[in-house]
Amino acid sequence: MSTRSASATQVLFDAPGPRGRARIRLLSVLSVLAIAAVLGLGLWQFGRNGQLAADKWLPYLRRDYLAFLGEGLLGTLRATAVAAVVAFPFGLLLALGRLSRLRVLSAVAAAWIEFFRGIPMLLVVYAFLLALPAYGVTFPRFWMLVIPMILVSSATTAEVFRAGIRAVDRGQHEAGAAIGLTSGQTMSAVILPQAVRLVLPSLVLALVSLLKDSTLGYVVSVNELQFQGKTMVSITRYLVQTYLVVSGIYIVLNILLTRAAHLLDARMRRRAATG
Amino acid sequence: MIAFENVGKTYPDGTTAVEDFSLEIASHEAVVLVGTSGSGKTTLLRMINRMVDPSRGRVAIDGEDVAGLDPVRLRRSIGYVMQASGLLPHRSVLDNVTTVPVLRGTSRREARSRALELLETVGLDPALARRYPSQLSGGQQQRVGVARALAADPNILLMDEPFGAVDPIVRADLQQEMLRIQKELHKTIVFVTHDIDEAFLLGDRVVLLRPGGVVAQQGTPQEILAAPADDFVRSFVGADRGTRTLHVEEIEGRRIVVDADGRAAGVLEPPAGGAARA
Repeated sequence: MSTRSASATQVLFDAPGPRGRARIRLLSVLSVLAIAAVLGLGLWQFGRNGQLAADKWLPYLRRDYLAFLGEGLLGTLRATAVAAVVAFPFGLLLALGRLSRLRVLSAVAAAWIEFFRGIPMLLVVYAFLLALPAYGVTFPRFWMLVIPMILVSSATTAEVFRAGIRAVDRGQHEAGAAIGLTSGQTMSAVILPQAVRLVLPSLVLALVSLLKDSTLGYVVSVNELQFQGKTMVSITRYLVQTYLVVSGIYIVLNILLTRAAHLLDARMRRRAATG
Repeated sequence: MIAFENVGKTYPDGTTAVEDFSLEIASHEAVVLVGTSGSGKTTLLRMINRMVDPSRGRVAIDGEDVAGLDPVRLRRSIGYVMQASGLLPHRSVLDNVTTVPVLRGTSRREARSRALELLETVGLDPALARRYPSQLSGGQQQRVGVARALAADPNILLMDEPFGAVDPIVRADLQQEMLRIQKELHKTIVFVTHDIDEAFLLGDRVVLLRPGGVVAQQGTPQEILAAPADDFVRSFVGADRGTRTLHVEEIEGRRIVVDADGRAAGVLEPPAGGAARA
């Protein structure tokens, strides 16, 4: 009961007594058994249909299979990187716009953010794939994926940045003003560096979801991982295996991203804790 | 010289922080505004560097109305020390101190060498220059705050409860340091506090405020202690509780000054030449 989460739970719920604890234990055991049973059943079903056979898995170690998926991986990384490099600064601008004292600017930024935050990305992709070409506006396929990624991601990261800016202690605005910084200098030299540090974990989440959004590349036939997987399935007919391998790659990528962010965060904390 | 001429402040929501306040502060003088919260003392202080604009009246520095001055340039020419230092947590001590001089166009190199001197002036080891504020104690942070305020070599120093957030021992230390610095630099200081002892210690002149920025009494600490204007002042300076009454006891031929609790405060010597300050 010494951890913070435990005491937070206690504020909301009474601590269970001996009978309550016994019931919780029983239910935990039962649910673990149920989950294990479902997984086991799935594996058994796979095995019965020959999906676990070695000859269906070994091809994923072949050079040409790996090269094909590797090309997809590169496509995914390229789309994610380009989208992030444009979307994050753009999101910051949108956040500043929304926080602006100029009513018009603030309203435009808010409308922009709410619009692109509110609609599914697939719809934006379709707009670029189907609607705009009908009016003679066409983009290369790569940009038909990346521009929607930028539009949607900048809207969500704008809200992340806005939260960060508002979370910086009000006293810091005063501190900036008191020593003679203009409001712009206060924002760029005092508030933003602290805000960005505050929202770094959320930015990594945004990057992870951006990476996952790039799977919509299959809609516009961009050579990203999901699309390569789909193509591979249509050639080899190894549906289960291909998608499991592709999922595995996505999971590993995102774990690596999160890890890198933790390292970065820890390094910045060591250098200077916000205090 | 800083002059408040019938200034008042009423906020848009109708609350009046300051009703009608006038005061002249001579150059090189240390004036302490003291009062409880709601007395408008911080509001008055901030009128000097235009962090608050008065609704009525005017504030003038050397005869020039501050309302006509560019707020940013004005603030760069006035040192400001705030409670809890207000240091920028993501910048090193050195960068915190050099921010304003660099903005004013001093070369980075010159600003740095001056900053290191200033750290010594405020009693800090220059080796701390590379640290970040969170790696310093509260007292050290306040010293950096003072160094930063002095960095642009301002004539005026505004201090808003600068020692309010540190423990009593460190506070006493900082107060002595402040007296030493003032003896050396002769700035015009406007100091805000709710601690009457601090006010009497640091102020050449003390202005006691009631709620709404009404002056209850002003004068040197001696004048206020000798003749409290009314019951409010008497209770604020602690005269009514007997905490300030001292009496003399004769012990082994020497005259010992003893406070209300019977503790010895010092030895009474006959005045040698001029009267020393309390």
